[in-house]
Amino acid sequence: MIKVANLVKNYRNVEALKAISFEVDKGSVFGFIGRNGAGKTTTMNILTGLIRFNSGKIFIKGKDFLKHKRELVKSVGYLPETPAFYNYMNAYQYLNFMRDIIGFDAEKSGKYIKRLIEMVKLTKQAKRRIGGYSRGMKQRLALAVAFMNNPEILFLDEPASALDPEGRLEMLELIESLKNDRITIFISTHILNDAERVCDKICIIDEGKIILTEDLSQLYKTYIQPIFDIEFEEEPGKEVNRLKKLSWIEGIKRKGRRVSLYIKDIDYAKKEVLKEISKLKVNISSYQIRKSTLEDIFIRIIKK
Amino acid sequence: MKTFKAYFKKEILEAVRSYKYLILFSGIVFWAIMNPLMIKLMPLLLKNYLPTDLSVLFSEYTIDAAFIDFMGNLFEIGTLVIVFSLMGLISNEVYSKKLVFPYSRGAEPAGFVTAKYIHYMFTISLFILVAFLTNYFYTTRLFEGGTLSIGIVLKSSLLYIIYYALLLSFLIFLSSLFRRGLVVGFSVAILAYSLSIFNRFNIIKAYFPNYLLYKAADLGHVFDNSLIPIFIISFCMIIILIFFSILRMRKIDIA
Repeated sequence: MIKVANLVKNYRNVEALKAISFEVDKGSVFGFIGRNGAGKTTTMNILTGLIRFNSGKIFIKGKDFLKHKRELVKSVGYLPETPAFYNYMNAYQYLNFMRDIIGFDAEKSGKYIKRLIEMVKLTKQAKRRIGGYSRGMKQRLALAVAFMNNPEILFLDEPASALDPEGRLEMLELIESLKNDRITIFISTHILNDAERVCDKICIIDEGKIILTEDLSQLYKTYIQPIFDIEFEEEPGKEVNRLKKLSWIEGIKRKGRRVSLYIKDIDYAKKEVLKEISKLKVNISSYQIRKSTLEDIFIRIIKK
Repeated sequence: MKTFKAYFKKEILEAVRSYKYLILFSGIVFWAIMNPLMIKLMPLLLKNYLPTDLSVLFSEYTIDAAFIDFMGNLFEIGTLVIVFSLMGLISNEVYSKKLVFPYSRGAEPAGFVTAKYIHYMFTISLFILVAFLTNYFYTTRLFEGGTLSIGIVLKSSLLYIIYYALLLSFLIFLSSLFRRGLVVGFSVAILAYSLSIFNRFNIIKAYFPNYLLYKAADLGHVFDNSLIPIFIISFCMIIILIFFSILRMRKIDIA
């Protein structure tokens, strides 16, 4: 759906994007994660046609973005991190203004705009001037604008950053429901729990360079370092050190009755670990696999 | 066309909500009423303070002289009001990132620029016409003598309309170049006032926009062949400036 190849963007002497490349599949949720200033918003602004780029190629729906920009942006919805509106308008007036720009049927649009306002839960405030809205309310209105005319691709830049916990949860549920509608979603966030919950693919960007692009499930397989935490009924003897010699164990940490095994091959370990521990002839009181989160993986990758 | 319609409607709403209509109306039409009243009442108010020979100057105003005086004041004050109330027409939208949503949904820069230009050109033209007719109404009732007719008033107002249409295109163009409205305002104001200097040079004055104002005050011969070059120049300049504004808005980084 989106293909970016060797995209470069410079701001005077600063290289904001250093020949980044990635692909986004149709109907997937693509998580673009990175620290502040990594180049997430710059990439989004380029892909929505708001800023120019120095070199590289972008294809959206198989078409060259530079040649078909005006046509392609019509099938794209964008939720910027800090949306700006005409503050003297109310939500209805702004959505009608955007309807006129997008150009869909004015007769059908009355009910449609009402539905959009209900969807983003702004019905009570819809006739108030936008200037009096809170940041969260503006974010909701921006979401309604992004959704107008059922775009095929949605760019969401930090969509939950200004929302309260309830709003954030609703936003995530909404994104999950859009997956079913085969809408392609490109989401930039530094709330890694959110990315972990909704994304199919993760792209980590740092200092204008793509560090990795991977399916979330594959990412866990590749970067996860599972740890088996085993608690014995009594402190095990020196024979526990024998486990170090096993090829699928990277290391062991002992603390009283508790032993942590750092595993190289999770699939093999799952089959073998209990067999090996039973050979120690000490009763086990608990046993669990500690799983790395996306946050652990992100920090490990960025530190590399 | 979609963008043009959307922005034309938006400009009307914005001009109402931000009192731009009121400001422009006051700045332009106010002088149409105040100017003849001031000229008429000034000698009465100041008769005890002015020497006799100076108060004669006020009492000798004819309809023509009062009308020319109004046009002079309209240029001096009206230009400031127009320039400083419209200086941020494009720059404010770019600077405050208000174009992010429209541009991200395919808004056409041509529609955006022309909607702004045509909306304010009509507004200013209408107010100038109202101002000239209002002034004609008052001057013909308060003063006597002179050749002023409704035909001359309409011709003079047309020259003022063309002049401000050109000034507005400068305003739009500079507003698309600079991010700060004040820079635009001062640049256009300086340009407008400094171009008056060329009216002193007979050989070249017909090629500069302020010649339109000069001819508007030449009540006996408002329209003659000497206006042809500046008509052509003004028309071409408006087209060129609007074209470059659109080009600039196509190339500009919005976010």
